[in-house]
Amino acid sequence: MNPETSPNSPRTHQQPKKVITGDHAVAIGAKLCRVDVVPAYPITPQTLIIEHIADFVSDGELDAKFLTMESEHSVMSAAAAASASGARVFTATSSQGLAFMHEMLYATAPLRLPVVMANASRTLGGPPGIWCEYNDSMGARDSGWLQLYVEDNQEALDMVIQCFRIAEDKRVLLPVMPCLDGFVLTHTVEPVEVPEQEEVDLFLPAYIPDITLDPARPSMIGTFMPAEYIMELRRQTAGAMESAKKAIGEINDEFARRFGRNYGGLIDTYRMEDAEIALITMGTVTSTSRDVVDELRREGRKVGLVKLRFFRPFPSEELRKVLSGVSAVGVFDRSISFQGGGQSYNEVRSALFGMTIPIINHLAGLGGRDVTREQIMKMFEITLKAAKGEKVNLVNWHNTRGETL
Amino acid sequence: MFEVRFHGRGGQGAVMAAQTLAEAAVIEGNYAVAFPFFGAERRGAPVLAFTRIDNKKIYSKTQVYAPDCVVVLDDTLLDTIDVVAGLKPEGIVVINSKDKPEDIDLGKELRTGAINATSVALEILKAPITNTTILGAFAKATGIIKIESLEEAIKRRFGEKLGALVGERNALAARTAFEKTVIGKSKGIKKLEPRKQWLPTYQELPVGGALVEGKTDAGLIGPGSFIENKVMGWATFRPLRDKEKCTMCLLCWFYCPEGTIVRISDRGDLMTNYDYCKGCGVCANECPVDAIKMVRARV
Repeated sequence: MNPETSPNSPRTHQQPKKVITGDHAVAIGAKLCRVDVVPAYPITPQTLIIEHIADFVSDGELDAKFLTMESEHSVMSAAAAASASGARVFTATSSQGLAFMHEMLYATAPLRLPVVMANASRTLGGPPGIWCEYNDSMGARDSGWLQLYVEDNQEALDMVIQCFRIAEDKRVLLPVMPCLDGFVLTHTVEPVEVPEQEEVDLFLPAYIPDITLDPARPSMIGTFMPAEYIMELRRQTAGAMESAKKAIGEINDEFARRFGRNYGGLIDTYRMEDAEIALITMGTVTSTSRDVVDELRREGRKVGLVKLRFFRPFPSEELRKVLSGVSAVGVFDRSISFQGGGQSYNEVRSALFGMTIPIINHLAGLGGRDVTREQIMKMFEITLKAAKGEKVNLVNWHNTRGETL
Repeated sequence: MFEVRFHGRGGQGAVMAAQTLAEAAVIEGNYAVAFPFFGAERRGAPVLAFTRIDNKKIYSKTQVYAPDCVVVLDDTLLDTIDVVAGLKPEGIVVINSKDKPEDIDLGKELRTGAINATSVALEILKAPITNTTILGAFAKATGIIKIESLEEAIKRRFGEKLGALVGERNALAARTAFEKTVIGKSKGIKKLEPRKQWLPTYQELPVGGALVEGKTDAGLIGPGSFIENKVMGWATFRPLRDKEKCTMCLLCWFYCPEGTIVRISDRGDLMTNYDYCKGCGVCANECPVDAIKMVRARV
């Protein structure tokens, strides 16, 4: 490991670390953001998040309204209403829960309600399963929510804090969905540095919206809107999503200055300086891939890693820039779009339109299957072959019985 | 990096043991992660948990395949599970057993630390929960963690959840086990075949995963295949029915979640099929005349 080049390298002046699960880290993040309203409905592997928050509220550590709702659809309805009334709103869900609230996701983004909701990535069935896959959140990628995928528990905590800053930024005003890998993070304990409350207060001031649902100052939010206005409304949302790119970068830099952890903004890179090929990863596979890159580098192979942190807004310009020198790129996907590869692959191809390098898709870990070092090695190997001009499959199903790579 | 795999049964605290070990390693200034096997754990069912310890940040987010140490919280698991599968040749086994290492057959001769954790736990904690006790044995057998760090981690983790006194007691249980652990070499006689699994290719998998009754090299699949999954090992207690008291009201038969209570004649005689009884105690709880008593299924 080369800690100097890793954005996750520990600082010299460390605060005491708590050994906690990803779900616990997310809950502490929400507490540090002094959220006002938490509508909640349990679902594995997210449940620990709202259980911890319920504890904080009942123990008097967090002054928030904790609402136990009758369904996820109601959770997002309550979240939208509470946000419109000016409250800072946090919730969490997963898989079927996210699917059930799908309709109300579309009520938060265009109405510019900066809700933050953690999604514990879990396969969306049937057949039912509880393990990690991105087909739950990918279905929401066109809802206007910002989406990001974290690689460890520290990033999960830190990003909840950053997410509120991003969501409430007046250039953005969009809801944000930080996604953490079900079980691989949600139920795994790691040492996590918990920022001081005062530090977070300085970084994240109170949320003061311009217009709220307040009887003293009547307003209308989310009323019927005919075609005469919708094109302009959509254009507005698209503009906000575009503006988010700048805001994300600035907020990342300010967080790095204050807390000593720099995540790179829209994307992060690892050993890309002189890389001849790159693998684009999301979530915890990024973390394991860092070790694999080190191993391949020791063998003298010039490989690098690009961590796709934000999926919305999609960092097209950033990817074009960082991949300008490579001769092939592999794209990891933990879900399938049923039109020739994963969602990430399709977005990357679109982003790199006009560049002539081979772009190879690596599907792995669907339904929660463990993505091992050997599989990641194979991804690099196939991508290297493509770089040398050898014929390889564009879409590769790793560790899938009946498929030959 | 040092990797540990914990074998236990749901409810014995294997996950808590793995997490507490990670906390102790962090107390010593190391980096550590701990996680359960990502399954649907149930009380009594065999469960797995893992800990990784290193002196620098751990990036690997995969499961553990070749552990340096295996910790067994319940030696009844030895009958059905090859607990040392994948263990490195120089690896260490820490086991809850009333036997000395020389008398424990792991199918391989391995460096083994044995402790009667159940009896230590019963004596100090007044409950057969062995997760903290076994950690004391782990410290003794591996030498990779100080017992003082474990005591501190136990006090923190258990103290936070269950109060300072419980933390103190569990730390004492670990210390006692640390002192009583016997180190030796296990026997390597029995041969445990890895359990076969039905693993079809995508072409072989029935369309949509729809299954009818079927038989494969690895056993039955589809409806009725559960008959091969005997769960008697899960039970700590099992129901005993007093035929004199029983009024044949059939409430137990109605409420049994596993259908293990069988009517064996027209007169309505009942029989409990212990192969599939998990010892949940619902029948005893529902019986209106207290004809069913729960008794220890294993000691």
